[in-house]
Amino acid sequence: MKTGQSTIKAEIILPPAGNNEIEQENGKKYLRRIAFSGVISLILIIVIIYSMPRTILTASSLIEYSTIVALIIFLFVLLFRYFAILVLAYFYINEYTYKLGSGFYPFLSIIIPVYNEEKVVADSVSSLLALDYSNYEIIIVNDGSTDKTENVAKKLVGYQKGLHNDIKVSLINRPNGGKSQALNAGIRHSKAEFVLCMDGDSQLSPDSIKVAVRHFTNPEIGAVAGNVKVLNRGKLFTDLQALEYIEGLNLGRSAQSLINLVNIIPGPIGLFRKKAIEGAGYYSSLTFAEDADLTLKILADGWRVYYEPNSISFTEAPEKLNQLLKQRYRWTRGIIQAIRKHKKLMVNPSINFGDTFILWTMAFEALIWPAMNIATNLFFIIAAIFFGFTSLIFFWWAGLALLDLVTVLYCIAVEKEEFRLVGYSLIYRMFFILIIDVCKLMSTIEEFLGIKMTWGKLDRVGVKT
Amino acid sequence: MELIPILSTIILVATICTFILAIGAYILYKVREAKGQQVSYPQQKEVYGELIIPSAAPQQKGKNSTVRTPGRTTFVERQPIFVQQRQPISSLYNPQPQQYKVKTPVRGTEYASRQRYTGQGYTNISEQGRKYADTRFLKYTNEGYVATQDDKSSGELKWR
Repeated sequence: MKTGQSTIKAEIILPPAGNNEIEQENGKKYLRRIAFSGVISLILIIVIIYSMPRTILTASSLIEYSTIVALIIFLFVLLFRYFAILVLAYFYINEYTYKLGSGFYPFLSIIIPVYNEEKVVADSVSSLLALDYSNYEIIIVNDGSTDKTENVAKKLVGYQKGLHNDIKVSLINRPNGGKSQALNAGIRHSKAEFVLCMDGDSQLSPDSIKVAVRHFTNPEIGAVAGNVKVLNRGKLFTDLQALEYIEGLNLGRSAQSLINLVNIIPGPIGLFRKKAIEGAGYYSSLTFAEDADLTLKILADGWRVYYEPNSISFTEAPEKLNQLLKQRYRWTRGIIQAIRKHKKLMVNPSINFGDTFILWTMAFEALIWPAMNIATNLFFIIAAIFFGFTSLIFFWWAGLALLDLVTVLYCIAVEKEEFRLVGYSLIYRMFFILIIDVCKLMSTIEEFLGIKMTWGKLDRVGVKT
Repeated sequence: MELIPILSTIILVATICTFILAIGAYILYKVREAKGQQVSYPQQKEVYGELIIPSAAPQQKGKNSTVRTPGRTTFVERQPIFVQQRQPISSLYNPQPQQYKVKTPVRGTEYASRQRYTGQGYTNISEQGRKYADTRFLKYTNEGYVATQDDKSSGELKWR
């Protein structure tokens, strides 16, 4: 990369920065709600106890039957969810045809928001200069970094040698205001019709723009979500996350893409029609999942959102459990905040049925599914310890592991991924997902109690490809 | 001993350990977060940022052109003008009009003193140029070439 090129500096006034602390609703309000629900539950228990002697049921049989019914419902939901996603994803992948050279190569801006990314920002820009696309510029937005990110980014400013031609690299330095505000500053500065938003620690594959931008020939498509893959593999948690990205996230996104209703355009790679972002009112600071919030707003505006599996972005995944929990805590609370922000669309399908459907599936995945998973595991533990049904937990694990094994084999074949990840499917559900679900449940409780939270910064190690 | 009870016991212990690990790690994470600094960001009406862009495209410069030094091309924009952002028409959210300031390049004060109005707009005249303009009309005398202004003060007859 060329450094030390002549530059022009200009002082600019940006829109007001959003407060980094998300506006929390009054915690007392939620405590009142919890107290109200508690009173209703107590009344119901009294009614059951009072009416039980008049029926043939006993207290122990009631618990037994209700547990069995709950388990059957959970098993049904689990299988239905799995097969629905698999079937939809299968049809999507069959429908998907890889067409290069569509002849549609519009000018686009790549926005990279960076905050203390001194170790990785140069690698990110290097990956962008190797893109197999000629008509683009790079805008780095330094969101008030406290390390040497600004100096590293300044050296990158200029006309850098790309794969086909020289690529303009600009830098916006702004006081710290959060990722959403940094992205907004870059989008507003861009003069392009299309913008690609990515993370400072992400690296794009050479074909990522070429294959994604062709979907915009359809005027209904407002955004295209890319395929996120884990860059730093080789450790237990990063390998499990790599598997989760392939099986849990990308498979679901493929299923959603069949009906052009992808619910989250991932932060590491999202291509937008600028008109769609402007119509949605840009990224908002009011939730911690700004990508989910913006996607919901774009969908609510009537745009379609597509998933492009060959538009790949490699991102650094947390290597330590503490960092992983920090990330998932933010994701969960952010998604709940986004759902709550759009609750009007959730309860009124006449506004936008697609959005209502997507919001309900998001609520299920964020709230109901983790609680069900934890409750089922607890049931098997209690059944084994107190009632001696030890073998039940084995059959439960064997069933889930088999289901995961088949799904992982399918996903790895489709995505041409590393075969060694198949082995992790044996511990994926009972170990990894259980930890994540405990974190999700705790985060959900904290969100409804209105406990304050702030943005967390993950430690980057700077992995070279 | 049969295989299934052994595997069941292993899975049971593993599940219980995972539960303990998950809850323990979560509590530890919350404790660490609570110890960490809580930085609050005050709301500001305007946020000043700095934009750094390359001075010119390589094709505009030409192949043999020399690279200009950063000192000569650097300037600070001072006078903001307001630009009204295009508003979404059919947005359900109908956000408030986004008004933000964009700065236009204005010459610095060091340049303003050298500007002269010529009838067709302001032009820059350097000190050397001004000296040249003052000595364009010379008269040849015994003492050599003298400026016409100096000649006016001499009191001699002048052609009309």
